[in-house]
Amino acid sequence: MNKRTSPLTSVIMIPVACLVGLPLYYILVNTFKTQQEMATAPLALPQQLFFDNYQYVFENVTLLRSFSNTLFLTVVSILVMLFIGSTAAYGMILRASRFNRWFGLVLMLGFIIPFQATLIPLYRFLVDIGLIDTLTGLVLLYSAGSIFCYFLIQGYMKTLPFEIIEAAKVDGASVFQIYWRIVLPLIRPILVTVGVFQTMWIWNDFITPNVFLSSPEKKTLVLEVYRAVGEFTTNWPSFMTLSVIVLIPMVIFFVLTQRHIVSGLLAGGVKG
Amino acid sequence: MATNTLPLLETGRRSIARMRRLRSSGRWREMTANQVFLIPIAVVFIVLYIVPLVQTFYYSLTDFTGYSLDVNFVGAANYRTIFTDASMLAGLSFTLLFTVGTTLLITALAIPLAVILNRRFFGQNFVRSVFFFPAIPSIAILGLVWAYILSPLGTGVLNSVLEALFSIGPYPWLSNGTLAQLSVIVVGVWGSLGWHAVLYLAYLQSIPADYYEAATIDGASRRQQFFHITMPLLTPAIIISQFLLVTGGLKVFDLPFTLTSGGPGYSTYTITQSIIISGVAQGRYGQASALAVVFTIAVGLLAVLQLTVSRRLERRIT
Repeated sequence: MNKRTSPLTSVIMIPVACLVGLPLYYILVNTFKTQQEMATAPLALPQQLFFDNYQYVFENVTLLRSFSNTLFLTVVSILVMLFIGSTAAYGMILRASRFNRWFGLVLMLGFIIPFQATLIPLYRFLVDIGLIDTLTGLVLLYSAGSIFCYFLIQGYMKTLPFEIIEAAKVDGASVFQIYWRIVLPLIRPILVTVGVFQTMWIWNDFITPNVFLSSPEKKTLVLEVYRAVGEFTTNWPSFMTLSVIVLIPMVIFFVLTQRHIVSGLLAGGVKG
Repeated sequence: MATNTLPLLETGRRSIARMRRLRSSGRWREMTANQVFLIPIAVVFIVLYIVPLVQTFYYSLTDFTGYSLDVNFVGAANYRTIFTDASMLAGLSFTLLFTVGTTLLITALAIPLAVILNRRFFGQNFVRSVFFFPAIPSIAILGLVWAYILSPLGTGVLNSVLEALFSIGPYPWLSNGTLAQLSVIVVGVWGSLGWHAVLYLAYLQSIPADYYEAATIDGASRRQQFFHITMPLLTPAIIISQFLLVTGGLKVFDLPFTLTSGGPGYSTYTITQSIIISGVAQGRYGQASALAVVFTIAVGLLAVLQLTVSRRLERRIT
């Protein structure tokens, strides 16, 4: 609001921010130290850059496999969710019948029903169909997020001029052609926003992989860190190094997409 | 331009309607084609929400263990058990404490923080990024890292820093019940504060500067401006933030589980952990399901309550 810069704010806020950021500094700085140096001077800058921790982690942790597991899970789940969410939103705006209005209201229940309420039957369901402890099974579970996608996409579609769809219809396009050639390109901005939010959810998710995956070769990155705590109990620098390595993809992703995160927050303050 | 094309479109739409009425068989085909688009979401909704929810409710009334096929109907017995089972009660009470604690603290801190971040000052971007950063990585990983920092041993980071600077401690951050609860709540606030501050900031920036200029001319103090312009215009953001904090707080699992694994004892046990441990690991399907049903009803009631209150608030302000 006011254009002047305020030195007092800087004097107070920069130290406060340093305090808040201290744990992050602590993790990062200790990845370059030996275990001894970490114990004697945990908060000092490293005397020399020491890369053995990184080498150790890359040699002892199956990072590449858990990275590709996480990537596969995230990409496939996002595609499935965006497909289901956008087709549903399109189907809803095509016809405003009483059934569709009622159906839209019922779908709202998907927002209220917590994952905890369906977890036990879903676990048994995955066991029954033989998809427990598989990445496919997890994709199936994550498709539950299409309800959230549907609501955001539908809200965006309502702002599009309906005349475009009618014009295409007059020109003889089928409903499927209209969806693929006209609606999908038009709703790209909201697909990106929703995709970014769901990516942050799936990539960072802990509860679903922890409950539904047990084989070591299907670990996601977050699970990799969780299970490393047991292995690295005494080797703190290696644990910190693993955490830092796992954080890097998400930080890069965030830097590339932060515009969309802020616009998503404004669009309706989606999840926290 | 726009005014010229509108009537044309209007006649176009009417003629399409006429065409539709004429070719009723074509209309039927089109209608079914439209409904095809709703099939995937209907399948997702039924398979992943409705069927499991009904099953949970059914399990909650039986003594189903997951192994034995001999399932008996036990009525409300499971519901009575969950309110006497020590671990489930502990989960219930800590989840409530966490929800209330984080909601109050984050709201009380995020609004002033957003107001400050909205000012211009040297290092603004740095401060914003630092506060927001914990929202980016998985909170499970942050919980594990904090477990190292708060390690109750003398060699724990916080304890060794306190020892070096003030020669006090070591404090049993995670091994004393009350301190552990406090630690989980503080780390929870640390993790979400920046996210909510940015949410408020986004709304703050959409308040026109003219309002403040006009208020200054009319002689309103900074404090009056805050309570009579900023706060009312932030109401939508407050509603969203509260909703996310309360539902997120009730569903909390990752942070206490990775930071303390629910301990010491059951002092940081959560409802979700209770459902997972007793349901999936111990096969106490009936009791876990009863807890899940109670939990769902509580979340549902809270959501409806919040929606009504926020509707009323919004109407009063606009």
